[in-house]
This record gives sequence, C-alpha cells and structure tokens, in this order.
Amino acid sequence: MLLMDARVPSEANEPDARAEALIAAYERAGYRRCAPAILQPAEPFLDLSGEDIRKRMYLTTAPGGGDFCLRPDLTIPVSCDYLASSAAGDPAGYCYLGPVFRHRRNEPAEFLQAGIESFGRPDKAAADAEMLARGLEAVTHYGLASPDIHTGDVALFASLIAGLDLPGAWKRRLIKDFNRKANLAQDLARLELGGSNNRPEYQGVLAALAGSDPRGAHALVTDLLSIAGINAVGGRSVGEIADRFLEQAALGAATKLPRDVRGLIERFLAIAGDPDEAAAALRQLAADAGMATALAPALDLFASRTGFLAAHGIDVKRVRFATAFSRGFDYYTGFVFELTDPKRTGDPLVAGGRYDELLSRLGSPQPIPAVGFAVWIERLAVYGGGR
Amino acid sequence: MSSPLVLAVPAKGRLQENAEAFFARAGLSLIKPRGARDYRGAVAGLDGVEVAYLSAAEITSQLAAGAVHLGVTGEDLVREMIPDADARVVLIEGLGFGFANVVVAVPQAWIDVRTMADLDDVATAFRQHHERKMRVATKYVNLTRGFFSEHGIHDYRIVESSGATEGAPAAGTAELIVDITTTGATLAANGLKVVEDGVILRSQANLVAARGAKWGVSERETARVILDRVAAQARARAFREVRARFAACDARLVESAKQKFGVETPFGGPTSSGMLTLHCPPDAVYALTSFLRERGAEAVAVADLGYVFSRDNPLYAKLEAGL
Repeated sequence: MLLMDARVPSEANEPDARAEALIAAYERAGYRRCAPAILQPAEPFLDLSGEDIRKRMYLTTAPGGGDFCLRPDLTIPVSCDYLASSAAGDPAGYCYLGPVFRHRRNEPAEFLQAGIESFGRPDKAAADAEMLARGLEAVTHYGLASPDIHTGDVALFASLIAGLDLPGAWKRRLIKDFNRKANLAQDLARLELGGSNNRPEYQGVLAALAGSDPRGAHALVTDLLSIAGINAVGGRSVGEIADRFLEQAALGAATKLPRDVRGLIERFLAIAGDPDEAAAALRQLAADAGMATALAPALDLFASRTGFLAAHGIDVKRVRFATAFSRGFDYYTGFVFELTDPKRTGDPLVAGGRYDELLSRLGSPQPIPAVGFAVWIERLAVYGGGR
Repeated sequence: MSSPLVLAVPAKGRLQENAEAFFARAGLSLIKPRGARDYRGAVAGLDGVEVAYLSAAEITSQLAAGAVHLGVTGEDLVREMIPDADARVVLIEGLGFGFANVVVAVPQAWIDVRTMADLDDVATAFRQHHERKMRVATKYVNLTRGFFSEHGIHDYRIVESSGATEGAPAAGTAELIVDITTTGATLAANGLKVVEDGVILRSQANLVAARGAKWGVSERETARVILDRVAAQARARAFREVRARFAACDARLVESAKQKFGVETPFGGPTSSGMLTLHCPPDAVYALTSFLRERGAEAVAVADLGYVFSRDNPLYAKLEAGL
C-alpha cells in the first residue's frame, strides 16, 4: 500500500448526462438498474480473478478480521447480489453505472464503469449476440460510429483440446495458458520436445511403474513415502501425490507431442477473419482432423451466434474473429469480445463475454449461464458526439 | 546550517552488529552521544551525518519515501516492499552479511514436485480436485506474485503470514510456503524442501540510497566521503597485496598474470629494479605466488590490505548516476 498515487478527481466521476441516458436506454430494454455496495468482501475477487489482481486492489481489513476491498469491477458484485436475491436461478438482467477502484499507473484509481450482466438465459447464442449489440449501442451513443470489433470463443479451444489424444496434465496446462494469454507457444515447443521434467533419480522407479497395475503402483508409492519416513503435510493427500507421480510415469512413456497434433493446434490458432470465413476454416479443420463430432456443439453455437449478430443489424463482415483471442481472465467460458478505437489508444472501450461457471464458483447450487460486458465511461467521454 | 545526511542503520540484533562492524571497518564508527538507548546517533569524526536506528522494514519504507538518504537493509525487503524499486532507490553495494535466499518450499512428501513447472501442474490439478486454490503462506506477497506469474502459475492463493511461516503446511493453513532460508535446516525440520528452480532472490544486506531524498551539495559531499571510505574498505577486502622483486619481472609477465589470476597493478608495472606490487583476489593468491616463483622470484610477500583509496570513487559514481 506504500506510495500509491490515489488522487481522485472530483468531477470526472460524476456520472454525466450521457452516461445516465445510456443506462436509461438499458433500463428501457429490460435490464434492472442495480447498485452493489462499493465495499466488498475481497475473497471472491482474489479467488476468481487470481492473485495478480491483488496488486491493483484497494484492500482493507475489518477490525474483527476479514479482508474487504473497494470493488475493482462490478461483474462479481452484481453476480453475488443476484445470487442472494429471490431471482437467483431465474433469468434476470441487470445494468449498472458507478465507480470502480483499481490502482493504475498514471491514471486515477477511481473511475466509472457502466455495464450489463445477463443471468440464466438458456438461449446462449442469442444472448451473446445481444450483449455485443448493447455494447455497440454504448459506443455509438458516445458518437463513435464504427469501432473495431474483436471477438473470440474460448469454448472452441476447450473443445479442440478436449477432443485431442493428450495426457491430462498437458490438457490442463494448455487450457490454462490459453485463458491467460500466456506461454502457449512455449508450451507447444516443450510438448514437442517431450520429457520436459527429466528427473534422473526417479527415472528408474518411474520406468518400472509405467504401465503397471495402478493399484499396486499406488501402494508402492505410499510405502516408499513411509519407508523414507516422510509424513504427508499440507493439503495434498498421499493418494493425490501418488496419482500424479504415476501420471508422470505414464507421461515418461509418451511425452512427445506428435508433430501432426502440434501442427493442428497451430493451424487452429492461426484461424482468423470474419465469423463466416472463420467458421468455414474451422469446419474444414475439424473434418481434416476427424474431429467433426468433437467440435460440432461449439461450432453450431458459433454459427447460430453469427446469425443473431446479423439479425441485430450488425454488419458481420466488420466483426473480426480470432481463435487465439482471449481476454486473459480464466472465468470466461465462451464468447468474448472487445470494442476498441484503433485511432486512439486501442484500449477496450467495451469488453465482455460469457462466464457460465462463475455463478457456480460463487456458490450457486445449480449452473447458471451468464454473459455481460463493461463500458469504460472515461474512455468514451472523450468523444464529442451524442444523441 | 545545512541539514544533515541521514544514514539509517538496523536498530536490533545481528543486523545491527554486522552493520556497525561494517562501518567500523570502513573507518566510520557509529556513536550514540546521548547513550546506548538513544535511537539517534552520529559518526565519530564526520560532521553532517545523523544516524537513525530503525527496524529493517522501517528503513526500507523510509528509503522509498526519501525520508532518509542512505540505509542498510536487505534486498529482499527492498524488492518486496517498494513497488518499482529501481525507480526509487539505488542498491549501491552488497555488504557481505545478512545472506538469505527467498525460496519456494513444498512438503518433502510431494515427491512428484521438483520444479516450478511441476508446481504449476499441481496447482491446476489441485484446484480441480479440491474446488479451491492451493494456498501459499508468505510474508513476501509481491515477490511471490511476481515469481509465480513469471512461471505462469495462476491457480494459487496467498495467505499472508507474519511469522513461523515454515509451520503453515503442518498446521494446515497453507499447502506450501515462500520464505527466507539461510541453511535450509528450518525448512527440513518442518518437513519441507526447496523447489529446484524455486529460488526467487539471493538476498544480502545492502547499502541503499534513496533517490527521493534531498540531495543538496552538502548531502552529496557527505555521501561522497562515506562511500569513498566504504569503497576503499571494500576494495581492500576484495584483494591481497602481493609483492616481489626479481630481474625477470617485465610487462609481459604482468600482462600474463592479469589474464591468469585477475590481478591489478595499483602502482603500475615493475620498477627498474624489478619491484612489483600486485593486488590479487584472495582465491588466486597461492597460484599467483607459485607463478611468480617459477619465473624467478626468490620471495613473495602477501599481506592483507587495510584500505585502498583510489582516485575514482565507483560507489559514489553509482549513487550519482542513480540520482
């Protein structure tokens, strides 16, 4: 908390008439305006957004213990309020306009965001398309007629990896790094090299265990630990350790990523263009790789969404889709998008996506589909136009 | 009267003893004119210096804020407590004490974890298995976050710990830890092992300057004197003086000794009578004496050095470059 520049501008954060008019339009479209508490429990943000957000959060500790923060975004607070309401589980849409708080270099820590969160709609393709349309509404409302529209679909990569014949450890890793926009190229290189974690001392045991009866091998690892006088401490059980040790043994036998699989992943990640072009390229890839069935649900949803985008009057040729596009948060599960103005900073003016697992992770007993977006009011305020 | 240069020194324990000994070796005796319990002191025979006795953590934050000019503190604290540390402070010199590594340590029972890549995989699997994230107990929140991020590890939670961190896994409050260790004995006693590529920082006590302090003419002059003495002592510590006189001693031989042993010639090449003075790194002294004797030296004298003052002042140059 040392030395942070937390200057708060006085007027910049007063919602102006244009922002209020935008929210009024969202309300007329059926989204209930909500205003979650500014002071929020810190736990859900740290748990769901990851430790990296901690350095940007304004954290405080209550006298009786318990960490709180000034809300760094509104998706999680709106989701929590929805889950705590009587509407939990039913379809419901909310809009908001208010300050969020993040430490930013050279920019005020308090800034305004507007946005929409839509919960419980089973017609996912239509809901996705509507979010993009409502996001565009915000941008045109401020007088920017044609922003760049960047889109992606996290579910496509997930289906591809799920359908590949790869060890579980590598699937976990590829999905995680794709979501975090990190290290994918490095992963692929390592996968192809194979045998990344060479551990000479254990090589013999691992080789002996490879292909052996899992239960017997499990018992052996457990015995090894007790013979060595090692007590299991920490939250991982001996069983878990043994399982992963055996997984390593299995990996040792077949660590190398076949060149054609790597080629397939790279070909997949290179697909970009307007949604129709991309869909055609993806279907071709699925057919070539014999993965038509594995990719069918994600591709069908993708095609259906493109249809809904056109139905909203969006010129689909202007929509840029890239399989490699992700927003860098691991809670997105499907459609993701950003609207930017390349003539200015290129920072997102509007950004959002589908996060179908978030509400379960916040404690919902049943899965609730969810999609939404946030609008950077301060970034839009520089545009002169309006209604 | 001009304001003094403030030198912050650890107020307690071994760090204080080591720091005082360090300054004493440099000919700078720290004194407490108003009694041993005073938290303000001075340097004997050097005006314009105020010595502030503070905890290492306070020294670090005071350096970051520019409230003191120079301070002795661990690099671990500098990197942990000061965001964008290199913009706010200058690490002038490692002082040769207070060594400690900040490391990632996991339970010894995790025989499947030896590298950070293993840990990454375990973290992701742990989250799927337990529906919560793996917990890391530490007081080094920022170092941990930066290091884990470098290794692409995201599925973890930090549990802040202010003491006895090594006990956290056994107590069930965390799965693994990031902590300082010198010998690793405490970790081992608590059933923990260091991840092979899990050394985040090799830290030692440093003489640190605050970029944000008021550096007027008099403060700079005082700092120049202090750093001149520190440098003279540091240089003396890094070399032994080796002297010999023999006829075959010529410039070519000296050149060859420079390349082989890393020696320096503080007073130039051999005199006309073949008298040669070399400064040699301690590790290479014996080899150098053999080398000289093989080439004709009857006797080679080796002595410790007290101080080596040189015309340039590399430590002050480093400070000035950073201000």
